[in-house]
Amino acid sequence: MATLFETAKAVALGLSLTALSAPAVHAEQLKLGVLLPLSGSASLAGTSIREGIEFAIKTANEKGGAFGEPVKVFIEDDEGNPTKGVTAVRKLVEQDGVVAISGTYVSAVAAAETKVAREYKVPMVSAGSTSSAVTDANTAGDPWFFRAFPGSVAQGRQTAEDTLNRLKAKKTVVLFENSIYGKSLADQFKKDYEAAGGKILSMESYNPGEKDFYSTLTNVRAQAPDAVYIAGLMDSGAQIIKQSGELGIKIQIVGSGSMMSDKLIELAGPASEGFAVSSMFEPSTPNKHGAEFAKAFRAAYGKDADVYSALGYDSMSTLIEAARRAGKPDGAAIRQQLMKLGDFPLVQGPDGTTAKFDEKGGVAFTIGLAIVRNGKRVWMPFD
Amino acid sequence: MALLPQFLANGVVIGSSYVLVALGLTLIFGILKIVNFAHGEFYVLGGYLAVLGSQLLGFPPLPALVLVIVCMAAFGWGVERFIFLPIGKHDPTNVIIASFGLSILLQNVFLKVAGPEPMIAKSGLPAGAIRLGSVFLTSERIAIVAAAAVTVTVLLVVLRFTWVGLSLRALSENATVARISGINVRRVAVVTFMIGSSLAGLSGALMSSVFMVQPGGGVLVVMKAFIVVVMAGMGSIEGAIVAGLGLGVVEALVTGYLGSEMRDIIGFLIVIAVLAVRPQGLFGLKTERS
Repeated sequence: MATLFETAKAVALGLSLTALSAPAVHAEQLKLGVLLPLSGSASLAGTSIREGIEFAIKTANEKGGAFGEPVKVFIEDDEGNPTKGVTAVRKLVEQDGVVAISGTYVSAVAAAETKVAREYKVPMVSAGSTSSAVTDANTAGDPWFFRAFPGSVAQGRQTAEDTLNRLKAKKTVVLFENSIYGKSLADQFKKDYEAAGGKILSMESYNPGEKDFYSTLTNVRAQAPDAVYIAGLMDSGAQIIKQSGELGIKIQIVGSGSMMSDKLIELAGPASEGFAVSSMFEPSTPNKHGAEFAKAFRAAYGKDADVYSALGYDSMSTLIEAARRAGKPDGAAIRQQLMKLGDFPLVQGPDGTTAKFDEKGGVAFTIGLAIVRNGKRVWMPFD
Repeated sequence: MALLPQFLANGVVIGSSYVLVALGLTLIFGILKIVNFAHGEFYVLGGYLAVLGSQLLGFPPLPALVLVIVCMAAFGWGVERFIFLPIGKHDPTNVIIASFGLSILLQNVFLKVAGPEPMIAKSGLPAGAIRLGSVFLTSERIAIVAAAAVTVTVLLVVLRFTWVGLSLRALSENATVARISGINVRRVAVVTFMIGSSLAGLSGALMSSVFMVQPGGGVLVVMKAFIVVVMAGMGSIEGAIVAGLGLGVVEALVTGYLGSEMRDIIGFLIVIAVLAVRPQGLFGLKTERS
């Protein structure tokens, strides 16, 4: 009987140890995890974000790391797949002993990953996931998922206003990717655009990775809108722009934040002229901290930083800074410090933007609008 | 109704690419009885070779296509000789698993070598829209249809009127009898695989100037090719041509009138219906062998 009791106690102890998880065991070195889609359809963004993250780590380690030791980072590929993402979280926490995670890019995957990370008391800072649904799932005042840039609610609203007021488009067709990223932006855009007096002629979804838009665009042309708003990823966006050029459609095209990439201009070719995209960072940013980052990044990589490297940099630097302030590698303590980072500058957004996370874990700043002219994005000033 | 001609044109263009991919798949299945799940990656490889030829080496369109065909034929030979032949010797069903493995291997090789960024091949053809009545097309899209028509005609002629074609058809009908009649089964198998592989590569190369080439781009393509092949009847060449064009047109109409999100569903619905009503496929022959 006694042995049975002992066994039960041992099992219970074992279980509670698992629940407590690794953080307590590793005392001195700061170990952070990174989750990104490094293969699969979202890998283009994932690899750019990784450069920003690695640059943040390099910069931090040159300044002495954290707790007197270099920051150690474990990078896992979640392939833009929720199941792979959840497995990767478990691996990062249980095997590698990370205390906080920067990740990920695909919103649906981020939503799945943070549920698991939270059970381990491991905070996550978005590395590109935009859907507000992920931060909205946080309990107000008790967030475990943070996003150092505005979510789909703010981006959808800003784009709706810009489309109506700056681009003077009164009638718009919305094409959106059938994912929580695309749908959350499209719904928000519709709500705010109509509230501001614009007219949505139609909303049409397409499957992620779709390449052929001739039939869809044939319908768009028949509706004769002033603008087309695309809420989706870069590869499909480039196809839509290129093919609308081929179909002789001369309508203002507006894209969501994922399309803020030089690659899009290259792929879409001359048809990208006049394309407008909401933009949180450009190398020519008026943000002083951002300009310094752009300069240092250029020196290190020999190419310009873009929105991906910028948000990767912000995601990782906020985590490292919060850990430094916490003074110990502990997930819960890092989370407490993340909520008090209102004085820490971000490279994205207008000058003076800081990591002032709200009670749901998001950061609000004005999102800019960039327009392609002569094959280059020109950033309209924030106002 | 005013939009119908454009939808039909879109469908014929996409359908032509389905025809080329599905022909390779159905040839390989019909003659070698190999279900090649890596066929989509053959298509992607063709796309990358076209990018290599047109962008990096600066070839004009035709030599770039010749490069693709030659390389893909050699690649097909290698795959048959070094992967499928040794693995199929013990148990032919192992080849199916091997083709799955090859598919994943190739995707990761593409990712490693070419990177995740989508690429686009330069066609060298005049850019801009061509307007035919109410239909807009580009020279690249017209070229796809033309190339598909030429390839299909050549293939049909070869199959019907040459010794190689005769042995291919004989092998497809009954391997044992073909062997007894003195056909070199090994040589036919190799030739078939080379042709099938070239057809997939050619399709990928043609589409790489219209759509982009990405490491994972073959996954949906191979599924579409299977839809075409199953719908037509495994091994039926003429069936694959009709079914490929048909699927392209149906998808374009569905996208145009019902919405883009329905596009990838419709083909599978048709396949289920066809299998329920006519399991041998629309053009497949019910073969009963003693």
